Amino acid sequence: MKSLASLSLWRIIILILPLVSLGQTFEYGWPDNYDKPPQCVDIPVDLRLCQGVGYHQMLLPNLLEHESMAEVKQQAGSWVPLLHKNCDPGTQLLLCSLFAPVCMERPIYPCRRLCENVRDGCSPIMAAFGFPWPHILTCDKFPQDDMCINTPNDTSTSEPNGHPPVCPPCDNEMKMDVILDHMCASEFAIKTKIQEVKRENMDRKVTLQKKKRTIKMGTLKKKDLKKLTLYLKNGADCPCTQLDNTRNTYLIMGRKVDKQYLLTGIHKWDKSNREFKKTMKKLKSHKCPAYENVFK
Amino acid sequence: MVFLQVMMLLKLKWTSSGVKDTPHTLLFIIITFCVFFMLEIVDANSWWSLAMNPLLIPEVYVIGGQPLCSQLSGLSKGQKKLCQLYQDHMQYIGEGAKTGIRECQHQFRHHRWNCSTVDNSTVLGRVMHIGSRESAFAFAISAAGVLHAVSRACREGALSSCGCSRASRPKDLPRDWLWGGCGDNLNYGYRFSREFVDAREREKTFSKGSAESARQMMNLHNNEAGRRIVSDLADVSCKCHGVSGSCSLKTCWLQLADFRKVGDVLKEKYDSAAAMRMNGRGKLVQMHSKFSPPSGQDLLYLQPSPDYCIRNSSSGSLGTQGRLCNKTSEGMDGCALMCCGRGYDQYKAELVERCHCKFHWCCYVRCKRCSSIVDQYVCK
Repeated sequence: MKSLASLSLWRIIILILPLVSLGQTFEYGWPDNYDKPPQCVDIPVDLRLCQGVGYHQMLLPNLLEHESMAEVKQQAGSWVPLLHKNCDPGTQLLLCSLFAPVCMERPIYPCRRLCENVRDGCSPIMAAFGFPWPHILTCDKFPQDDMCINTPNDTSTSEPNGHPPVCPPCDNEMKMDVILDHMCASEFAIKTKIQEVKRENMDRKVTLQKKKRTIKMGTLKKKDLKKLTLYLKNGADCPCTQLDNTRNTYLIMGRKVDKQYLLTGIHKWDKSNREFKKTMKKLKSHKCPAYENVFK
Repeated sequence: MVFLQVMMLLKLKWTSSGVKDTPHTLLFIIITFCVFFMLEIVDANSWWSLAMNPLLIPEVYVIGGQPLCSQLSGLSKGQKKLCQLYQDHMQYIGEGAKTGIRECQHQFRHHRWNCSTVDNSTVLGRVMHIGSRESAFAFAISAAGVLHAVSRACREGALSSCGCSRASRPKDLPRDWLWGGCGDNLNYGYRFSREFVDAREREKTFSKGSAESARQMMNLHNNEAGRRIVSDLADVSCKCHGVSGSCSLKTCWLQLADFRKVGDVLKEKYDSAAAMRMNGRGKLVQMHSKFSPPSGQDLLYLQPSPDYCIRNSSSGSLGTQGRLCNKTSEGMDGCALMCCGRGYDQYKAELVERCHCKFHWCCYVRCKRCSSIVDQYVCK
């Protein structure tokens, strides 16, 4: 009885081996299709998402089916603000392995673990801006073997410091590039003062003063502008020094999600700050990537 | 007819002359046969030879000008004129033919006839002279390949006379989705494929009800069937390009299906191809009227296929001797069917492949070498 069982077990093992080896033969080389193979191109200097990622050439089309460099730049642009948040050390590597994949004989995808680490570290911050973790970055579809990209020095998650993290829309560097990136990622921007800040469930409700100047109108309408109320998403308990000071004038950015207006960025309107002044001057001529142009 | 003439001459010579005339008679016969075969070789040339030509790049035409078109021996008279008018298209016609042949070889990889290329001029060889199912498939897949390649070339901006698709917005597309982007120019590719591929057939005139006329109609129908299948499989493709990869902004366009799908559908058409014959009024009708009449996407054939078992220079069959077969399969790739009952030899072969590959930062892949002994079965 036992010997018969072990015999059949060995037969199963023997049968499985050829299948495994057969499967492996399909692992290498580009999939059998008739499309033009991707080209190796230099990573352009204005693809800011991937500057300093650790390699200098990328495949085009990339692994997100972006076919032209203009399309890559336009789509990558909205991810640059996330990079500024430093939510996970592997953020740039994950994004660039897809937006600007390394030039190899076959495509190398990010490892599932890298994706999961970045997702767990960054999706709360994205949620604060009203963005779900996107379908294009679903971690389940990425490989778990050795033929994938992981962080070069895979350190364990850093120990949390004693302080609670700053509210993502309030955690901003006073730097021109950062502000302009956030401006492009936001739908509207206004100059105003804060009238009242109140807790509401998990959010904080920010009421603005009547006097406002529009920096970027976007999707906002004039009638909505008058009675504008912004929400700091999931921001009931995190610190935000800007909201504590109602005497200052602020540059406030936001976007509409469903029927709520979310706060996406807040900077003190500080004319004595050279960087801020430079940014406001640059803002007049700065053009955000226009989506329609990419597909013309 | 040529054979009959040779036989009559031979008979006359032997009855009327003595031994001393034999060398001249033999020489005459040899010359006659050479002329006969040369005619066959010339006639067998095809535009498919563009798939085997490595010189099909536009720069060569600029240097050479028109003479190069006339030097392409596979082209018919009308096709040469189109070559002169549309020099930049020739590269993509060659690519289309190559795609068609590769897909043919994929679809028939387990068959006795496996779409092997015989040489660079006749490409698939004399087998294509038989009005068989295999010829029907080959003609359809080649016309489809040209349509596919030219439509893609338009989208990529490679051809001066065409650009993105101008297909109108589908009515069932959601209103907030954008219709734009650069679609494959199916309309242009279709018209060009028809003009070029069918030119070979249309410029010849055969007497009504003749075998040549029947074959001409068969080819035209099968070319069109290949094109229609590409057209039917084309569909709307969409891309999300909102902020952070969201679908708040979505753009759609017309896109051709992957050519593998075209091959799969045509293979089904091959399996269900309709047998036809020429009727008294010079039209193709079904051999067996009990079946439903074929549609525009169905393949037609006129002659039964040879069994492709034994090498036969007159039919162009290469035979299955030396072909790999699958000992455990009962299908066409099984040794029983593939070897036509002649049996097979068994060999041990060492299979070497890369294994345990690992990606190293940044950036290279290192693999180990794995070898294994596998049994191989080869038809006798």
